Order: sequence, then structure tokens, then C-alpha cells
Amino acid sequence: MTKTWVVMFETYLRQIKTWSFLFMILGPFLMFGLTAGLSYLSADSAKSSQQLAVISQSAPLRQAYIKSHGDGLNTKITTTSQAKKAVKANHLAGYLVLSVDKQQIRGDFHGTQALSGGQRAQVQNFLSAYQAQANTVQAKLTAKQQAVLNRTPTLASHISTKSGTANAVKVASFWAFVTLLYIILITYSSITAQEIAADKGTKLMEVIFSSTTATSYFVGKIGGILLMILTQIAVYLVGGAAAYQWAGNSRTFKPFLTSNRSLIDGILHNFLSINLLYLFLGVVIFILLAAYSGALVSKAEDASKAAQPTVMLGMLVFFTTFPFQNNLDAIPVKILSYVPFFSSYFMPLRLINGTTSAWEVVISLVILLAAIAAGALMIGKHYQRLMLQNDNRSLWQQLLHRKHS
Amino acid sequence: MLSIQHISKKFATVQALDDVSFDVPDGQILGLIGQNGAGKSTTFHSILNFIQFEGQITWRDAPLSTDSFDDIGYLPEERSLLPKLTIEQQIVYLARLKGQSAKTTRPQIDDWLERFNVKGTRRSKIKDLSKGNQQKVQLICTLIHHPKLLILDEPFSGLDPVNADLLKQAIIAAKNEGAAIIFSSHDMEHVTALCDRLVMLRHGKVVLHGTLDDVRNQFGKTQLSVTTDWSAADLAALDHVTQVIHGHTNHYLLHLDDPAAGPAIFDALTHGHYIEEFSQQPPTLDEIFRLKVGEEHD
Repeated sequence: MTKTWVVMFETYLRQIKTWSFLFMILGPFLMFGLTAGLSYLSADSAKSSQQLAVISQSAPLRQAYIKSHGDGLNTKITTTSQAKKAVKANHLAGYLVLSVDKQQIRGDFHGTQALSGGQRAQVQNFLSAYQAQANTVQAKLTAKQQAVLNRTPTLASHISTKSGTANAVKVASFWAFVTLLYIILITYSSITAQEIAADKGTKLMEVIFSSTTATSYFVGKIGGILLMILTQIAVYLVGGAAAYQWAGNSRTFKPFLTSNRSLIDGILHNFLSINLLYLFLGVVIFILLAAYSGALVSKAEDASKAAQPTVMLGMLVFFTTFPFQNNLDAIPVKILSYVPFFSSYFMPLRLINGTTSAWEVVISLVILLAAIAAGALMIGKHYQRLMLQNDNRSLWQQLLHRKHS
Repeated sequence: MLSIQHISKKFATVQALDDVSFDVPDGQILGLIGQNGAGKSTTFHSILNFIQFEGQITWRDAPLSTDSFDDIGYLPEERSLLPKLTIEQQIVYLARLKGQSAKTTRPQIDDWLERFNVKGTRRSKIKDLSKGNQQKVQLICTLIHHPKLLILDEPFSGLDPVNADLLKQAIIAAKNEGAAIIFSSHDMEHVTALCDRLVMLRHGKVVLHGTLDDVRNQFGKTQLSVTTDWSAADLAALDHVTQVIHGHTNHYLLHLDDPAAGPAIFDALTHGHYIEEFSQQPPTLDEIFRLKVGEEHD
């Protein structure tokens, strides 16, 4: 066991010190940071040129507008000449001149582009409310009359938001899960196959097998790679939580997060569940296959070919999920949710869809764990022979030969 | 003691080992010689359980098991290390796999590097070392945990005479520590210089086995080294002389078909007078090797 740990940590430390691993781990954060940074810079520079100024001879009228619609206004500009200069210099999108002529409130907008529908409605509503207020004062109505005139109709919306969001959550969770699993599988299948194949190209294996058993070494290798995966998942969980926290307080992302809160929470709920275990076990069974492929190549130069069978199986399983994205109750989905390699995709999808029972999940997990144990034992048993064997047959020939023998 | 009893191994139609038996006692060095393909590496692979074989191999009266791993130091025929590691990382990693902690190994590294005159520091990357220095680092990896059973497959291959001497000293030091050592070599000079016993394989069969003197004496003292003013023709005319090889000036090497002819030739050459050199010896290991290989072609 001690030697298994030695191999495990050696494999782990050797891999995590590589630039490729560092970039792989930090890639999403760099992308997120870059996007956030660019959005912030773009928003900041666009902010001033999208502002409006309000000009009025009537200070109460101007203040009333600023008080009711302060966002997006440049309150420093108070005269028409200042506003014209600012518009010309592209520091202002336009200016609104508010005036009172014979008890009638008037608004004149000057700008390089027309007001948007929302802005126009905003201005119109303000003018109407202010005019109504002025009319009320001028008409000298009693409080009761004022209350009658202020009476407005009611429009209530009764939408079942939960079911609508739930569908969106399922679809988004489906895509997020299959894509994440696919990326991790392909990445680590390649790393595993190349790591094992590179070993095979060296006579160092003879020295290692004179020091420890092949099974112990194999378990150590796979353990080292699993530690890498756990490191990546841990970094993503911690980094993701920090980014989520930060985005929740960011002016740029807060509106998006607020309006999609239930969707995001739904996706997170689907991930931070037993599906995470399926994701991990799915990666384990695929890297076992990748390790087996890696052990079959005849020389180190063939390391890049070693991952091919696993990558192809990974692609097959990934694409098999596509036809069922809107039909997760189909019979093939139920069958495939018990078949190792496929179950890592299909059972989580059934869980996301809520169309499976706890017993079905247990049975599927038992089959998957049994397949992993059988695979590990089988490879561990033949690992020494495979690693020390030098065979000029191609990887495919060896795979087919082994299948028939 | 390593004991190999009646081991046989067949690869498809090729009989790689055929009823091979020998022992390597503690504190002794056994040289395994033979042509390429004679079965030397297959013997090593059998000892290390890399291949399935018939027969029995025991180490200290028990079959080799996981418990024996830490006793073994193995140097494969082709050298190989992890190029991206530093010398220290490589040595510590392999020593830990041999059950020796990093804490014990690290303080020894500089001493071993100095002993083998490795051009590089403990922080030098393996890939930056010359082939010869990489080979020396691999030797250090084989020896640093003080193995009790040392298996060296062609250890002198690729080493210059100076480095070969350094390796010889290290092997002798391991022997003095009580290790049982088995190594293969094509260089009979190294075998003669180091081995207490030797085994020669041909087509997987043991054709010679014993101490160096026993093996040489099996062939009789059929060589005479003499320094005389006789001509080569006169020497060839002597009874039982089958071949005369002229060396430098008056030096000749005579091959005899009967070792008992020595005293008569001595009398004929000296007539009771002083002679500078007269030495009757068995054939050298190199000659025995050629002789045995030659038998196959006859």
C-alpha cells in the first residue's frame, strides 16, 4: 500500500506541475475573468455616452424628473449649451428639455438617436403624472375628488412560473452535464493513455516491477490521475463559488443572476447531488479503459494513438444522448442507464428529468461499481505482461486479438 | 542464496531456457555468459517473475514474493530513466519504491554522485545529462538501497574503462556487504576479474558451470607460453603441439593436444638451462567462450 501511495503521489505531482495542467485548471477562470473585465471596461466607457441630461427653467420640474428617474442621467449638465457640447463630444446620448407653457408641461428630446421604447414610455409617464398633478392643483379639487381621479384599473398576471422554469432547468442541466462530463472524459482519457503508454516505452518498467507489483503500480497510477481530477473539481467548486459570490455583487452580472436565479439554482441542485458521483465514476471507468489502451501500444511514439478507442467510445456515448434530450422517458434511455460507460450519462439525465426511482439508481450504481472493480482487477492482473510486452501489432490489432482470445 | 532449479521457458517454438540450474550464494558474484539470444535476459526475467516459467527459483529458501522486492537491485539491459525528473527526484522515487525513505536516501546522494563521478548536481535534470552520466545515475538507483540480491544485465555495456572500474569497485563493495550478485557480460575480462563462479548458456542450456578455475581446468592446461630463440617451424615440429602463434620477438603461444606433454617440451626447450619464460596454463575464458561457441558451428 505504501508503494501504491508513492506511485500515486509521484504521478500526481509530476502531472500537476505541468503547464498544460495549470492552463487546464485556470482556463475557465481566465476566460471568465477576461469576459468580465472586457464587459466592465466596455460598460464603463459606454456608460457616459449613454447618459441623458435634463434641462429646465423650472428647478422643481427638473428635480422631480431626476428624483423619479435618476439612473442614467448626467445631473452635472444644467444648460442647453453644455448639453449640446457634450452630445457633440459623444459624452452624452442626448438631453431632455422640460418646460411649462400655459400650464402645459412639455418635453423636447434632442439626441443623436431616438429614445428607446422604454425611455420614451418613462418620459411620457413622468410628463403625464406631473401634468395630472398640476391639473389637480389648478382645478382645486377636494381630497375625495382627487382620490376618485387617482383611481386606476388593476391588471394582475397569474403565471405558473415554477413549471416553466423547471423545463428550462432540465434542458440547461442536460447540456451542462453532458458537456462537462464529455470534456473531463476526453481530457483525462488522453492524459491517462499517454501517461501509461509513455511508461511502456521505457525499460524503467522492469526496474519498477522489480520493486512493486504491477497491480499496486497500476492502482497508484490511476489513483494519481484521479487525484488530478479531484483537484480540478475542487478548484472549480471553490473557484466557482467565489466567482458566483463575486458576480452576485457585480453591477454587470447581478441583473443576469437575479433574473435567472431559479434556473441557476436548479442547475446547481442537479449537479451537487448524486450526479456528481456518477460524473466521478464515469470518469473512473473511462480512464480505466484509457489505461488499458495505453498499455497496449508497442512504443512511446504511439502514445497519441493510445487514447483513440476511449475517445471514440466517449464521443459515441456523448452523441447518443442527443436524440433523447427531449425524450428522456424513452425505453433506450432506461436500458442505457444501466449499461456501464453509458449509465454515467443516462442515469444522471433520468435523475435530472425526475423519471427514476432510488432503487433504479442503486442498481445502476452497483452495476457500474462492479464493472469498475472487474475492469481494474482484469487490467491489474495483465498489466505487467502488457507493459513488458513488445508487440509490433497495431493498437487495433491487439484490441481485436484480445477480444477474440 | 539465490537458487535456480531446473527452469525452462519456451517462447512459441523457441526453447529459451532448458533445464537451467545454478546457485548464487550470499557474498558471491556469478557471471552469466553466452551469445546474444542464449537466454541470459530470460533467466533474469524469470528470477524477477516477469515471465511464467517451469521449475523453481528461491531466494533465501523461499519463492520470490512481494517481500523480496526490497532486497533486489536490478539493472536492465537497456537503460531508462524519467527525463523530466532531477537526479535527486529520480533516485528518491526509485529508492522509495525499494522501501528506503526519502529521509534516508537524500543525505547519501551527493556521496554516490561523487563516487561515480557524475557530471551534474542533484538538481540537474536527467534529460540534460550525457548518456554515460544517465547510465551512472541508473547504477546509483540500483545500488543506493544496498540490495541483498543484485541482478545486473550487461552492466558494463557503454561504459569507458575508467567508469567500468568505478562500477567494478561498487560491485565488489556490494559483495563485501554480503550481497548475492549475478551479472551478464560479453566481456570476459570483466567476468574473469569479478566472478567467483560462472555459468555459460547456449541456446538456453547450461554448457559451463563452476568456479573460474574449475571451468578453465576442465579444458586442461593445453596452452604453453614460451620465450625462446627456437623458430616457429621447430616449435611446431615438437610432439603434441597442434598450433604455434608467434607473439612479440621470441614469444610464442603453443597449443597442445595433451597437457601431459608439458614436461617433455620443457626438457626439449631448456636442456637443463635457464629459459626466460615457460608457463603452462588452461585456456583463457575468452578462448573457452570462443571454443564453446565454435562447437555449435562444427
